[in-house]
Amino acid sequence: MNFLLNTGRTIRQGSSVERKNSATYREEASAVSMNPVDMFEMMVEQGDRVRVKSGSGEVVMWVRPDPGLGRGKVFVCLGPYANHLIGTETHGTGMPDFKSTPVSIEPTEEPVPSVAVLMRQCGGVPYEG
Amino acid sequence: MKVEDVVCPFCGCLCDDLVVEVEGTRVVNVENGCTLANEKFMGDHRLKAPIRRAGNAWEEISYDEAIEETAAILLDADRPLLYGWSGTFGEAQSVGVHLAELLGAVIDNTSTVCHGPSIMAIQEVGHPGCTLGQVKNRADVVVYWAANPIEAHPRHMSRYTTFCDGFFVKSAFRERKVIVVDVRETESSQVADEFVKVNPGGDYAVLSALRAIVRGKRDLIPATVEGVSREQLFRVADLCMSAKFGAIFFGVGLTMAQGKYKNIRNAIELTEELNRHTKFTISPMRGHWNVYGSNEVFTWITGYPYAVDFARGIAFYNPGETTSVDILRRGECDACLVVASDPGAHFPRACAEHLARIPTVQIDPHVNATTHLSRIQIPVAVTGIDAEGTAYRMDGVPIRTRRLFYGNYPDDLDVLEKLYRIIREARG
Repeated sequence: MNFLLNTGRTIRQGSSVERKNSATYREEASAVSMNPVDMFEMMVEQGDRVRVKSGSGEVVMWVRPDPGLGRGKVFVCLGPYANHLIGTETHGTGMPDFKSTPVSIEPTEEPVPSVAVLMRQCGGVPYEG
Repeated sequence: MKVEDVVCPFCGCLCDDLVVEVEGTRVVNVENGCTLANEKFMGDHRLKAPIRRAGNAWEEISYDEAIEETAAILLDADRPLLYGWSGTFGEAQSVGVHLAELLGAVIDNTSTVCHGPSIMAIQEVGHPGCTLGQVKNRADVVVYWAANPIEAHPRHMSRYTTFCDGFFVKSAFRERKVIVVDVRETESSQVADEFVKVNPGGDYAVLSALRAIVRGKRDLIPATVEGVSREQLFRVADLCMSAKFGAIFFGVGLTMAQGKYKNIRNAIELTEELNRHTKFTISPMRGHWNVYGSNEVFTWITGYPYAVDFARGIAFYNPGETTSVDILRRGECDACLVVASDPGAHFPRACAEHLARIPTVQIDPHVNATTHLSRIQIPVAVTGIDAEGTAYRMDGVPIRTRRLFYGNYPDDLDVLEKLYRIIREARG
């Protein structure tokens, strides 16, 4: 199914922002919030994993319901998971489209990667210390 | 030991009423802080020593070795990028700008992916702002547009608006009307007197409709504008026009959505229209602690608030060209120094890939996403905990932060001054 991706701050993301290798940060940053009716139509439940794809990349995340979101809209807190999907076009302003990226979402059995693994996919070397 | 009136080093509110209890080199208790402040002070997850990438592993190195190697990387680069700066204090930011001039580098701060477009709009039409104290004491209508203060600035409502009594607003909860405009329901929208739900990307049209209503052109407004009914638009405009003192606070929901800086320009022009009827102000909800200070320091020294390019030997500024995301997207920079921020987590993936391709050095107290992309990381003291310096609150008020204890880490200024001295000597 196709959705419009919005990103932004959550208090759990802010609380764990200085522990990006932690399970708490990973759990919050890799959650994709979705309208419960959309979840029903996709036949996914809270905690199920989904593959989210955009024109710029794809990443596996887990789903949680948010009745405050409209149908067809999804929300991911700012961070490396959301940014795996955001393009670099800034329309001459320096600012990418963090609030409005079209994505497609499908259920998957694959695991949610850690931040270190995401950065390795970008060409980095994970530091686990 | 209990330290009173401590300044929080997390968000742009810079709350200065915290009571922090310290034992040796550890914070053991925080009073008055929000969840974010408690985590910031109590968290003990620092990188212990400088590290360097060695093939597919990491090794610890000395500070001198790390700084000398960083200097060599920057001296060897043709187009270095110095990025970040919002998590550190003004004195360190100042050395960063001088370092950029010496290197002929581009220096940019985190407003490039935050309120940079707000600054672009302010450069076009000005900024009718005020201090948070004015809002607390006078505002009887507060608008949060595309912002979610309960999650991003948790004490903003209790220190300055919804839940805070002021000199002329004796019972804030009863006398202050709060309007929240957003594309989704949030915890902040749930405490609003009026929640205006706008279609994604519809802010510009809704702002224009409100401007038309304030101008007396109600008959021009269609039945709905971007998901908002005409009746609600009339109600919101009437609330604003009947205010004795109104304050708009806007978040990155406006700067990052379609229209970018034009949304902000429209919001400022709505504020101008409202000032034909009453007193109204508008201010950005600055997020990353001293990001406002980085704009101030850059502007004092170079004339420009962010994205300053010294490649020509003079300061040059052109958002869309000299901004970090664009430079990384084009694969233009051949070395990057990251100070007090995390572009690995907060820039699009393609930018992170370029940071991994080039020698990237990070000066930061914590392991973050950029650590994995870097060649060297130099840990430093945390400003406001074991380092002190000047920071700017979101309304432009400078506040001196305090050192709560003397720890074992050098601060950003120590490291950057050493780096500057080595590079100045090498450049003659």
